[in-house]
Amino acid sequence: MATTLFYILAGVLAASAFLALTARNLFHCALFLALAMFGVSGVFLYLDSEFLAAVQVLIYVGAVTVLIIFGIMLTRNVMDEKTRVMNRQAFLAVVVALGVTALFFKVLGQSAFRAGDHPPAVVAAATAENGQASPASTASSDVYSLGTELIRPDKGFAFAFEFVSILLLSALVGAIVIARKDPA
Amino acid sequence: MTSIPIVHFLYLAAVLFGIGLFGVLARKNAISVLMGVELMLNAVNINYLAFAKYWNWNSLTGPVFVVFVITIAAAEAAVALAIIISIYRQMKSTNVDEVNYLRG
Repeated sequence: MATTLFYILAGVLAASAFLALTARNLFHCALFLALAMFGVSGVFLYLDSEFLAAVQVLIYVGAVTVLIIFGIMLTRNVMDEKTRVMNRQAFLAVVVALGVTALFFKVLGQSAFRAGDHPPAVVAAATAENGQASPASTASSDVYSLGTELIRPDKGFAFAFEFVSILLLSALVGAIVIARKDPA
Repeated sequence: MTSIPIVHFLYLAAVLFGIGLFGVLARKNAISVLMGVELMLNAVNINYLAFAKYWNWNSLTGPVFVVFVITIAAAEAAVALAIIISIYRQMKSTNVDEVNYLRG
């Protein structure tokens, strides 16, 4: 049941992502993008990341899509019925995108990915150690361990965490300065 | 829940990345290009979490990187929309193929 639901979710996700980038009306594009972000959040649930699924809904559906809708409303009267949605190189873009996807599929079809859900070296080590082929997970991605990993001072991600907060602040200030009406 | 093989997540992410790449390359409107970039970043996030769940038991590097990618994507969306609105004030257009001030 849960497995079937995943494939339905994947189909809805791919379809809404496709419609988000091919629909004529920009508002429909933004709403399909919100649906696609919900789908990605569902895929995160299948990957045992409940916290990141919630963050995905909050940030992408709640913030980025609303920001994009504001952007569409502030740049109105751009798309009338006659102008083309795609630019001149649309055919070339289809070729490139299909080529890149085909390359990914070819790599994913190789034996290391086909062999199973675990990397071969890890399976071999676990088999040699205690005789069973699937070792238990030792790291859990719940909120507590994720937060500890982010701000732990020794060999954690504390520096990157602080750096990203500075980047977020400068992006905020920069966005205000760039979009200001009369540069003083 | 673990009955879904990892390669199906990777196929889904590859399809999403391809769709996003097509949007970035083919759409005329700059806001649509931004949407394509967001889709590509989300495909990468799915890959990070899939590998973190199936292939890497002893570290939280995958989820932590997803947190960073989401943060930077949000910052990027804010700055990109500010630039798009600024360009719209100047040129009354947001088509990426009409903005060629820097062409030599």
